[in-house]
Amino acid sequence: MYQSSKTFITENKIMLDLINENYSLLLFLQHFNIDFAVNNKTVSELCNENNIEINSFIVIGNLYNGFYPGEDDVMKIVDIKSILTFLKNSHSFYTEDKYPELKKYLDEIKKSNDSKDFQLIEQFFDDYFKEVLEHLKYEDEVAFPYFNKLLLKSNDKQFKTFSAAEYKNHHTDIETKLTDLKNLFLKHIKIKSDFNLKRKFLNTLFGLEYDLKIHSIIEERILIPLIEKAEAENNG
Amino acid sequence: MDKDRKNIVVLEPSKIVYEGLTSLILKSDHDCFFFHTENINDIEILFAQKDISVVFINPITVLNRLNEFARIRNHFPDIYWIGIIYSFYDSSVLSIFNDTFLITEDISVIIKKINKICKNDSPHSQKDVELTEREKDVLKWLVTGFSNKETSNKLNISIHTVNTHRKNIMDKTGIRSMSGLTIYAVTKKIISLD
Repeated sequence: MYQSSKTFITENKIMLDLINENYSLLLFLQHFNIDFAVNNKTVSELCNENNIEINSFIVIGNLYNGFYPGEDDVMKIVDIKSILTFLKNSHSFYTEDKYPELKKYLDEIKKSNDSKDFQLIEQFFDDYFKEVLEHLKYEDEVAFPYFNKLLLKSNDKQFKTFSAAEYKNHHTDIETKLTDLKNLFLKHIKIKSDFNLKRKFLNTLFGLEYDLKIHSIIEERILIPLIEKAEAENNG
Repeated sequence: MDKDRKNIVVLEPSKIVYEGLTSLILKSDHDCFFFHTENINDIEILFAQKDISVVFINPITVLNRLNEFARIRNHFPDIYWIGIIYSFYDSSVLSIFNDTFLITEDISVIIKKINKICKNDSPHSQKDVELTEREKDVLKWLVTGFSNKETSNKLNISIHTVNTHRKNIMDKTGIRSMSGLTIYAVTKKIISLD
């Protein structure tokens, strides 16, 4: 899944070339609030201009290009602020763009399909979407503010009760049900509907799955180790 | 993350050999993660942190430390050691590994070796997607809301057997959540909602 013959991103690579090679990087730029009009700028110029910590940018960009981050690369990241921005923006992307899009397709399919099987899938999706919203809300409202406080090296008592360890426990795997949904469609249930509509639904599902997978790698392999390091430094 | 993915350590001083080996394996569609280390000292830390199943090892890294290697091997008996061979070694050295491969060999030989080890973990091949009657029985109770324990009582089998069935059901259907399995069971008429 993470193998790739794409370019390994480094600070002197031209962003435009990278986008032409892998257009998923557009989404990556969006999550960092970087406009798509990248001109002929290099990675490092783009990061300077947009005030983004370059090591985070390179590690995450390489995930989109199929390279798994090494521990050394992760520990080079000096400031997790950019990562938190990235994750927060991805949350908005899921809740305001991707999931509503999936819902829209399901609603359209429903117009021509009132089978019991389809109703079950729709119910499954609605329940799942609710869970996703809850999980993302928890991260936005509890976990991320804690991480931000930690960055300010604050001793705010309110946050003493929370930690990376707790985040790890709460960190549920929202990918599982997405894969289930995909497998129900692709392996088990034939839904009678317009070809274009079904393909668009699956396309969106795959796109979402791709981004969610990267999202959870960022949380598990980049954010959590860095937070644990910061906690150790604060306590020491 | 995918829980079935294999974690493989490559203990090899040459970065070129490491990169070449891992990229060829990944290009063959083999689903695994690699960790690179140049020193046997680091390997125990990796074992403690990651669920490692296979180590590719250059014999040179343990040649002068055979006692220490033996100690680690005994300490982690489930790990499968495959020697990376690109020069002549005494057969007594090679016998300390479970298997070896020559660096000049085709990558398919190496992949076959990995597959052999992985297969031991999953008795069902990918093609085997139909549930057995017993698996359907287990699924029926589980999606009706019975626990593993209750299901084992109902069917008069051990909890261990229920767990094995459960794992096979998930592998075969590709569905891991209970709500997803319920939909599967309804559409395949294993249970009825009425």
